[in-house]
Amino acid sequence: MGEREGVPQTKAAPPALRYLDPEEVRAFRGPDGSAYVTIRDEMTVIGARFMRVCPLTDPDRYLAIVGPDPNGRDFGLLRNWCRLDAASREVVAAELQRRYLHPTVKRILSVKDYYGVAVCTFETDRGVREVTLRDVQDNAIYLGPSRVLLTDAEGNRFDIPDIAALDPTSRALLAEIL
Amino acid sequence: MAEVLQIPQTVQDLVQRSVPNGGIRLAAASDLGADRRYGEQWILLAGDRVLVCELEGGQANLLIDLPLHDISEFQIENLVGGAVLQAVVDGHRTDLIPYTNALAKRFANVRVQLDAAAKGKPVPEIAEPHMRCPKCGLVLGEETRVCPRCVERGAVLRRLLTYTKPYRAGLVVIGLLMLAATGFGLVPPALTRVLVDKVLVPKANAHLLPWLVLALAGSSILGTVLTVWRGRLAAWLGGRISFDIRAQLYHRLQWLSLRYYDRHPMGAIVSRLTQDSGGIQDFLAFGLPWIAGNGLIVVGVAIALVVLNWKLALLVLIPTPVVSLLIRLLWRRVHRAFHRFWHGWSRFHTIVNDSLARVKIIKAFTRENQEIERFRLRNADLFRASVAAEQTFATFFPIIGLAVGSGSLLVWYFGGRLVLSAPTGAGFTLGDLMAFLGYLAMLYGPLNFLAQSAQWVSRAMTAAERVFEVLDAEADVEEASAGIVLDRPRGEVEFRNVTFGYQRGQPVLKDLSFSVPAGTMLGLVGRSGVGKTTVINVLCRFYPIDEGQILLDGVDIRDLDLSAYRSLIGVVFQEPFLFSGTIAENIAYGRPGASLEEIMAAAKAANAHDFILRKPDGYDEQVGERGSRLSAGEKQRLCIARAILHDPVILVLDEATANVDLETEEQIQEALVRLVEGRTTFAIAHRLSTLRNADQLLVLEDGKRAEFGTHAELARNKGVYSRLLSIYRKTSRVRAVDG
Repeated sequence: MGEREGVPQTKAAPPALRYLDPEEVRAFRGPDGSAYVTIRDEMTVIGARFMRVCPLTDPDRYLAIVGPDPNGRDFGLLRNWCRLDAASREVVAAELQRRYLHPTVKRILSVKDYYGVAVCTFETDRGVREVTLRDVQDNAIYLGPSRVLLTDAEGNRFDIPDIAALDPTSRALLAEIL
Repeated sequence: MAEVLQIPQTVQDLVQRSVPNGGIRLAAASDLGADRRYGEQWILLAGDRVLVCELEGGQANLLIDLPLHDISEFQIENLVGGAVLQAVVDGHRTDLIPYTNALAKRFANVRVQLDAAAKGKPVPEIAEPHMRCPKCGLVLGEETRVCPRCVERGAVLRRLLTYTKPYRAGLVVIGLLMLAATGFGLVPPALTRVLVDKVLVPKANAHLLPWLVLALAGSSILGTVLTVWRGRLAAWLGGRISFDIRAQLYHRLQWLSLRYYDRHPMGAIVSRLTQDSGGIQDFLAFGLPWIAGNGLIVVGVAIALVVLNWKLALLVLIPTPVVSLLIRLLWRRVHRAFHRFWHGWSRFHTIVNDSLARVKIIKAFTRENQEIERFRLRNADLFRASVAAEQTFATFFPIIGLAVGSGSLLVWYFGGRLVLSAPTGAGFTLGDLMAFLGYLAMLYGPLNFLAQSAQWVSRAMTAAERVFEVLDAEADVEEASAGIVLDRPRGEVEFRNVTFGYQRGQPVLKDLSFSVPAGTMLGLVGRSGVGKTTVINVLCRFYPIDEGQILLDGVDIRDLDLSAYRSLIGVVFQEPFLFSGTIAENIAYGRPGASLEEIMAAAKAANAHDFILRKPDGYDEQVGERGSRLSAGEKQRLCIARAILHDPVILVLDEATANVDLETEEQIQEALVRLVEGRTTFAIAHRLSTLRNADQLLVLEDGKRAEFGTHAELARNKGVYSRLLSIYRKTSRVRAVDG
């Protein structure tokens, strides 16, 4: 049994979100090649990482600046990183490209069905890839009426942002598996 | 190493140029290019250099070339959808090679191998986890090696049929019944032929009419009786065989090692026992007899048609493949629509389950209207899917009928001309034509389903192969072997230089030594993930240790009879787990056959007796999944009672941190004190009181023994323990105030 004679802890101020003004934030490449971020000339985060708050539904709106270690602390949020200066934007864009590897499907080139296992060829924004889907329905997440995320047998995820916007062939092939 | 062989020549040449006199010690390919598009990069350890190159258009471009001795450590940074292997140079992390999730396992191994090399050790051999079918390369995932494309249907079917061996006689009867039923099935059109040619057309032989009709009735009834008989027999046989398979499967599952369960997700194992064996039953009871029976009918009918008129027979038989292909295509669309409908149902199910199970929360947040709206959307989805499915069916089913019937149109026309041109009573008669059409009707039905039976067979064979995979899994050698049975062991336990890891090359316990005198209590202390539970796991012999020895009364536990050894150990886990059954049965789980008085005594000692009496059914109260709900504190006390009755020499206590009220907590504590009395106890301690009461404390850090001694000694020490202690004090103070 714990010690019961204890006194209540003194109340610390509740943690608050810190929104950063794009004017006060500068990102650049440090000498070691990682991303450095200077905030309000108060501090520099070495090896900063940029994390999308809503990578699926609103990827370019809120961006968190996080420290380098695995349980990195959050240094603040950018409401709209497009308003950073051009040089910083370039660094942030490169870091986002580095971190977010999920491809977006542009076209479906072929679908072959082997008794419940579908082998598809997707043309994505990262190039063409052969993808194996098993139990397609169980591994599909619908984000709205025309958007679907497919997870393949190897744990990779493929985003089809707008099924209606696909070309007719792709749509017909998709209908075969979904 | 298999992968060295597959290194492209250009990459090998590049290595040769960059590191002329160092052999390739390690090589692995990634599936992303330097621009993070799909591509191919290689990481190589050649001599004492780490190279990364990109393969583009048949050219290998060197991207990174680092001396191994500059690298202190290799790390993996997890990204979204993949990860990147990094080298730590002068305290800075440098990206070496990115890859997608598909290669996560491969690069986890590469990291271990490179780390070993960086520390000057030989590169350990680690087998690449199988993810693809070795024959065709189809991605299978880790759970299974059975490839639906390559599975040898013949071999699997033969093996499946060995299960019919004890029931050979039944099988023979089924075969005979099938033949006879087919024979009787072919009789009616032959009788119609006689009826038309000998009675109806010539308007003669009226005395034959009742006999012919009687014969028609007779053959139909007999055929039906035989079919019923056969169906009942096949159902029994199919059920019996899958009963045997399930029994064998469950037996094997109980004796497989925990390592097997670590490697295979529970869902996959359960589905083999339920779905796969169910699939086999369906196939054996319905599929196989159906296919065989209809195959026989097709052959019989085809023969009958040829005998009647071979030219006409050819005319209708030749287009049948085309027709059945067409039918198959139409069926596929129907199936797809229904598939979507069924999935709509299962999603609908989820949402209804979800919201009704959480109705209290919904009410508390007054979200009823939003839930109704959410339901309305799903309901509308389901409505659309059901309309689509039913309409597809309503459209295509008649069309399929039309396609099936089209063959008979040919027969009506060409057969009709034959009848007209033939002299009355000779050549191709009206009776022949009627019989021909009758046989034809019998042919198309089975034919359009036989087209689907290929898929049916494949599914069943894949299911069977998955079941066989479990049956063939290596049994744990340890589980089977017999050994020494100790007579009244005292319970002195010693760990001697124990090293163990769940995966090779990744030890969780490192060279751990300590001893626990008989009847004393050892508290295991340390942060989570430090190896406390692992100490328990190896003590219980759930896993064999890699190096060192664990001794009970001076005897290596590996030399002891496993069942006898485990019966010396009692465990009270953090998650109190009850089986479906009565309270009495649950307490007596570790000692079946215990008398009620013994059970009550144990419950009393565990402070459980009083609350059990208050239950309407007392010791007969049903608990577990479908039984009455017990509070966390009640469940814990039942588990303690179970351990007391089991009366183990060695007690393992994984202390619960469950939120129970103070009075209950006190009762549990009391019960535990009684339980621990006189037993060698290993306690994973979360409570300060346990830490104080323990005779010795083992403080673990990173799988190693950090500190060892009594609470008082260690608290004075200002080491790891005193640091942990101050955290414990703070949190328990908060808990005490909250409580």
